Amino acid sequence: MILAVTVAVLVTGGVYLTLQRSMVRAVFGMTMISHAANFMLLASGVSAWRGEPIDGRTDVSLAADPLPQAFVLTAIVITLAVTIFMLSTAVFGHDDDQYRLPETGEER
Amino acid sequence: MEQTPVGAPIDSALLLLLIAVPLGAAALSTLIKSRTFDRGLLIGVPVFVGASAVGLLVVHQDHPVLAHSVGGYLNGLAIPFVSDTFAALLLLVTSIAAVMCGWFLIATGEDQYRFVPALILMMLTGVYGAILTGDLFNMFVFVEVMVLPSYALIAVTGTWRRLAVGRMFVIVNLLTSTLLLIGVGFVYATTGTVNIATLANMEVIDESAQLALGLVVVAFLIKAGAAPAHTWLVRSYPNTSAGMMGLFSALHSKVAIYAIFRIFGTIFGEPPAWTWALAVIAVASILIGSLSGMAEKRVRDTLAVQMTSGVGHILVGVVLLTSTALQAGIFYTVHHILTMAGLLLVFGAVEQVYGSGLYRKLSGLAAREKPTAVLVVLGLFSLVGLPPTSGLWGKVGLVVGAAAPTEGDDTSVLGWVLIAAIVVGSVLSLFALIRLWRAVFWGDAPTSYHPDSPLTGRSPSMSLPTDVRIPTRLLTPGAILIGLSVLLFVAPQPLIEVTQRSADGLLSHGDYIRAVLGHG
Repeated sequence: MILAVTVAVLVTGGVYLTLQRSMVRAVFGMTMISHAANFMLLASGVSAWRGEPIDGRTDVSLAADPLPQAFVLTAIVITLAVTIFMLSTAVFGHDDDQYRLPETGEER
Repeated sequence: MEQTPVGAPIDSALLLLLIAVPLGAAALSTLIKSRTFDRGLLIGVPVFVGASAVGLLVVHQDHPVLAHSVGGYLNGLAIPFVSDTFAALLLLVTSIAAVMCGWFLIATGEDQYRFVPALILMMLTGVYGAILTGDLFNMFVFVEVMVLPSYALIAVTGTWRRLAVGRMFVIVNLLTSTLLLIGVGFVYATTGTVNIATLANMEVIDESAQLALGLVVVAFLIKAGAAPAHTWLVRSYPNTSAGMMGLFSALHSKVAIYAIFRIFGTIFGEPPAWTWALAVIAVASILIGSLSGMAEKRVRDTLAVQMTSGVGHILVGVVLLTSTALQAGIFYTVHHILTMAGLLLVFGAVEQVYGSGLYRKLSGLAAREKPTAVLVVLGLFSLVGLPPTSGLWGKVGLVVGAAAPTEGDDTSVLGWVLIAAIVVGSVLSLFALIRLWRAVFWGDAPTSYHPDSPLTGRSPSMSLPTDVRIPTRLLTPGAILIGLSVLLFVAPQPLIEVTQRSADGLLSHGDYIRAVLGHG
């Protein structure tokens, strides 16, 4: 239940922030949505506290499901890379993320 | 763990080479700073994969599926890489498109921008990986490998608008990827596996698992650019350069299509409970995509909305999910990749020489550019579905598939609706493309242009000398692709045999399961 509520709060905040005009806010919004996805992935395994899934350390029936954790690890790496890229797009180019439409330099 | 079926002519572990070679080439391209070397890799790697795909197609005539479990872990737990006729066909067609787009980028000089060859090779790694993988989560990873380089590529070349558009492109794609990730997580939660063969091997896929897979399909539909979530594609692709757009349209959208075929064919096998929703999306994509072309102001904007229409046509095969319809859908996919990339490259040559893709700046090219005019006519005919091009067989196949009785003796209501959408969509496309033709090729002779110089970039409007023509070297890649479309009109039978085997391989997944799991 706590996981579900956390996911709901993160998605709500993430959607609100992503819809803002400022690129930095949008990046924060995407980060929150990605975190929500990570919690969601964790919830797809057994969310209760279990032993570490290492052979010889824990009995198989008591060990945690390692697969969702591997999923989350992969997802975190990918999100981190994209977040850095998005932050860099907020810096280069024009200062066009505040209150006016971007200058595209192109005539229509 | 012995994976290779007895008597198979090649070791299935070699499948990994098709992913390792582009990835290694991307690394080499960043390390070795030589333009000739980069060009060699940009063309050589897709040629290598394309040739391997031809080899695989030959092998699959006797051995329908080759599978390899990475690391030799237990079947079903290991991450499998699988090749069947459908995968090999897609490898071949995407490689052909990649070679031609790479050639075009070399001809326009866009390959000399920083890291462009390396990024394209990395994108190809993702494409080939997503096609060959037999695991939904791994597919997500390879789709990410495919889109990450494109975030950079979209901002390298094209109009100034690309800088603003790049942000939108990243956000939409990251959000869609997150949706895909959540969908894969749901699949794991409901079924306990993300292995495609294990999923296919299940007796019944219950409704919660169907919904979970539905979320995965929704994510892929957005990535493919199906209506109503197609506007991101229409507003981003045309702002990059033509060669890059050809690459994106041939690779990105079609990998998403491939995934949808794989989920419906191999995993579901029969239409899931929510297939009506997909039918609505298919019809909406065909009609909206065809109609929107009337309002666009630039050549490649019109072609971008035609991509949405094409996705709708391809989905018709998935909605019906019969052997005939699936075969027609796969044929249409091949046709659409070749035609769309061909047209984009030809118009890319026009833009390169005349310096604009705006309707109001182009006119009267038919008298000056006879070979280009012929190519464009053939390409546009192919999009609409008129002879002498592959578009005719693509659309005829879909209509025949939709008309085939599913239950009872008559064509189902769904079939009639789909046929009506295809016919109306073709007429609307015809009007939209006639508008394109009239704006660019008819009218007064052109008097001004924006010549492009490698040193100073696009110049302001200048009066047009009479001897300016589109050079053959710019036109050749597009001409080859459109030539292939015409060739498929004259001799469609070899391809139809392959697409038929692909469709049968998708629907009767026994071989697939046996090859991956070693039993079943």
